[in-house]
Amino acid sequence: MTHIDQVPTPGAPLPVEIGVTPGAKRTNPFAQVFDELVRFAQSRSLFMLHYCTGCGAVELPPAMTARFDMERLGIQPMVSPRQADILLITGYVSVKTLKRVILTYEQMNSPKYVIGICSCTVNGGMYWQSYATAKKLNDYMPVDIYIAGCMPRPEAVIEGLRGLIENIRNGRADAWKDYYRRYDHYLGNQQRLFGADWQTPTDVIAEARHYDLFGPATLGAHTALLEQHQRPLEALAMRIEIPELMRRRSRADQGGTAQ
Amino acid sequence: MATSPTTVMDQLLTGLHLPDGLDAFAGVIRESLAQVTNSASWTRYGRQSLEWLIGMNPVDRLFMLSALTLLLMLLLGRLRSAGVLAVLLYGAQFAALLSTDTLFGAPLAAEVRITVADQSLHWSYDALSWFFAMLTIGAGFVTAWYAAGSWMRRYREAGRSARAFHVALALNCFGMLLLIGSADLLSLFLGWELVSWASFLLMALVGGLGAQAALKYLAYAISGAMLILGAIALLYSVGGSFEYDAVVAAIRGMTDAQVWTLLLLLGGGFAVKLALLPFHLWQAAAYAEAPGAGSVFLGAISARMGLFGIIVFIVGMIGVSRLMTLEIPYTFMSSRELIAWIAALTIIVPTYTALQQHDARYLLAWHGIGQGGYMLLGLMVGDAVGSAGGLLHCFNYAITQAALLMAVFAVVHRTGTADLNQLGGLVTRMPLTFLVLLFGIISLAGLPPMAGFVSKWMVYRSLITEGMPLLFVTAVVGTLGTILSVYKLIHNIFLGQLRVEHQEVAEAPLSMLIPMLGLSALIFLAGFIPGPALSWVAQVQGQLGLPVVPWVLGGIVDPRGGLDMIWLVGILMAGFGVGALVFYGFGGRSRRVHQLDNYAGGHFLTADVHYQYSDNFYAGLMHLIGPWYRGAFRWLERSLAATLDLVSFGAEGLYRLAQPTLLMLAAAVAMLAWVL
Repeated sequence: MTHIDQVPTPGAPLPVEIGVTPGAKRTNPFAQVFDELVRFAQSRSLFMLHYCTGCGAVELPPAMTARFDMERLGIQPMVSPRQADILLITGYVSVKTLKRVILTYEQMNSPKYVIGICSCTVNGGMYWQSYATAKKLNDYMPVDIYIAGCMPRPEAVIEGLRGLIENIRNGRADAWKDYYRRYDHYLGNQQRLFGADWQTPTDVIAEARHYDLFGPATLGAHTALLEQHQRPLEALAMRIEIPELMRRRSRADQGGTAQ
Repeated sequence: MATSPTTVMDQLLTGLHLPDGLDAFAGVIRESLAQVTNSASWTRYGRQSLEWLIGMNPVDRLFMLSALTLLLMLLLGRLRSAGVLAVLLYGAQFAALLSTDTLFGAPLAAEVRITVADQSLHWSYDALSWFFAMLTIGAGFVTAWYAAGSWMRRYREAGRSARAFHVALALNCFGMLLLIGSADLLSLFLGWELVSWASFLLMALVGGLGAQAALKYLAYAISGAMLILGAIALLYSVGGSFEYDAVVAAIRGMTDAQVWTLLLLLGGGFAVKLALLPFHLWQAAAYAEAPGAGSVFLGAISARMGLFGIIVFIVGMIGVSRLMTLEIPYTFMSSRELIAWIAALTIIVPTYTALQQHDARYLLAWHGIGQGGYMLLGLMVGDAVGSAGGLLHCFNYAITQAALLMAVFAVVHRTGTADLNQLGGLVTRMPLTFLVLLFGIISLAGLPPMAGFVSKWMVYRSLITEGMPLLFVTAVVGTLGTILSVYKLIHNIFLGQLRVEHQEVAEAPLSMLIPMLGLSALIFLAGFIPGPALSWVAQVQGQLGLPVVPWVLGGIVDPRGGLDMIWLVGILMAGFGVGALVFYGFGGRSRRVHQLDNYAGGHFLTADVHYQYSDNFYAGLMHLIGPWYRGAFRWLERSLAATLDLVSFGAEGLYRLAQPTLLMLAAAVAMLAWVL
């Protein structure tokens, strides 16, 4: 368990235990066939939101276009996180950018996969000594695949994407569940970097309950801190307020209380 | 024992309950009313007048009720209850119209006639008149209802005269009923002028931009009326009579050159009211700047009077087959193709002008001009399905445009603006108005399952089967522009970000919602079951001598491809049903999120920052077609106006320079010499 007042020394390993609980096999054979089918379909139709933060972005156009053509793998760019499956981070993540990356990540629907491209996302790369750069992406969100290199060539990008597809097919790409199961850990790291008043519009704890991924490590000291100042964003209600009918109703209410 | 009217009145009066404070006042009223009803002569007079009204010729009764509406609005228009009274009176007019039975029965002449200088003006109703009168009174009815409650209260609070509005509306209805019942050239011209001036009154009520636009309309309308007067003079000089029978005979005997002249005069005159190219510039501003409910009436029906004239004279009397024989020298075109292409350009140019508007009222008004082109195009094809499509579009367009404008003015009523760049996200606050606008835009864009689809489909189909592929392409290009701009309309008003200042906006008032919702139900029903409307259209076709459309309850039957909307809508709904079954059957759940929990490139959104994309809405498209907007017609209009200005300036200078009295005298002498 990390604490907010504890400032991490650069390079020191954070007290993180990577524990991905394997997905329980279902006993119903038909369900297994169905799961297999769903995983195959998911692995072959991936929409990718590329959050181009650094120099790695320049390798994406050749990977997407005719030369390497990632669409033959069923991967194509998507404009909004709500419809995207993959979040692609292509380089160094400054503290300011990281806030946006986390916001975007939380807006994505599950199952969602994160790919870190370039050395910068792995360990800070050439920004190792920068005071304003997050070093390890997986301190702040679960990462499925890292593609190392400075920068990785399109072949390497394609190779990494194939690895992700393989993991989805085998049912091993469930790092996203870790974010819900150990939300307190990730939130703690985020709070250390952004301050105690850090919050996003997404209610991750409610989502953890929604996905049935609420575990003992979902809540903790950091979520307690979040709850102190969190202002939940309720969806705008559809309101049919016809003034004449409202007035009649309120008059009827008043009549009722008078009696 | 027969119950005498007096006892019935007593029973009614004793059963009358008034609020507490008015009891003493009510007592006085009861006493005086009892005195009045006791007098035998009064009841006899009342019974006689009622019997007179019931025993009257149905067409006279219609005119009488319309005139009564006008009179009562003139006398009582200032009262608060005048709006309700107007709704009842328009309802009575509608009932009177139905009782004429001129749609399925024989044409019926009115007994009212005026004789001036040995020329008699008379009126008669037939299926065509019934169809247009139904649209007129229907538009008057929904407009009056829309204006009856909260809208009129606001209108009064702004210091405007309710009486002027009621009178203008009633006068419009009355003038139109006279025009579409006209049975000779003189009564036609009388009705035409009355309609022109009445719509000027309705446009100019508010003043400001509206009055400017109305003045511009007046300049156009007067020149149009002059053209029609010229046509009437030509017809009289050839046929020697103002009667329609004599006119038909005269046209049959005319030479091609004379028919061409007639076509240009009549076509030009009616085209001004219908706002065909190149006379379309006046309409959008004049209709959009009229006071809300007035704009609804004008948009729904007013311009159709021009189409009525074209139907009576060019389609009915000259005939499409005669038009085809009139070749334009040195081209491959006949006059029918010329009119069809004018109609096609009238679809395209105003529709794409609408695409550029950022005021919802103007956007719809420009569409109104474009939709007139579809009606004329269908009529110019001249086959059974095409002309039926053109006529049916009058009805479908009227209900659609009325619903759309009502929804837009309901938004104006609540938010105070129709600027598409200053609205957004209102669907959560005005969901019923959103629904009305949604039904309306589907119909306006001509998509199933709404009414507009049926009539547009019929026009498209006739263009293909009658071998006019280029016109078909033009019509489809126009529809593309419609779809693009109505999407802009609904998106910028109702979707996207709800503004801070509109957080507490309420739904439209009930008095405005009821006609809106009624019209949207009608839009769907007329799309789902187009049979009844097609039966009216078939009667009109029969009366005009056009081939009659083979209609059934669900649409049309034809060996070359019919249309059954009941099946089509059924399949469409079944498609949605299967989709819903798959989604909800597999446990699909949706979760609504707050509008600020949205993606804007990772930006943290706050209520004070606008992220809705509404200004310069079709930037990419405008990059492609933007250079095509040259404003050539505006340039033409301005140069004409400048020329006129210069001439009048010169004339004025001459007049002031020389002896004014001498000039007056010379003019008077010249006038006398010409007359004598």
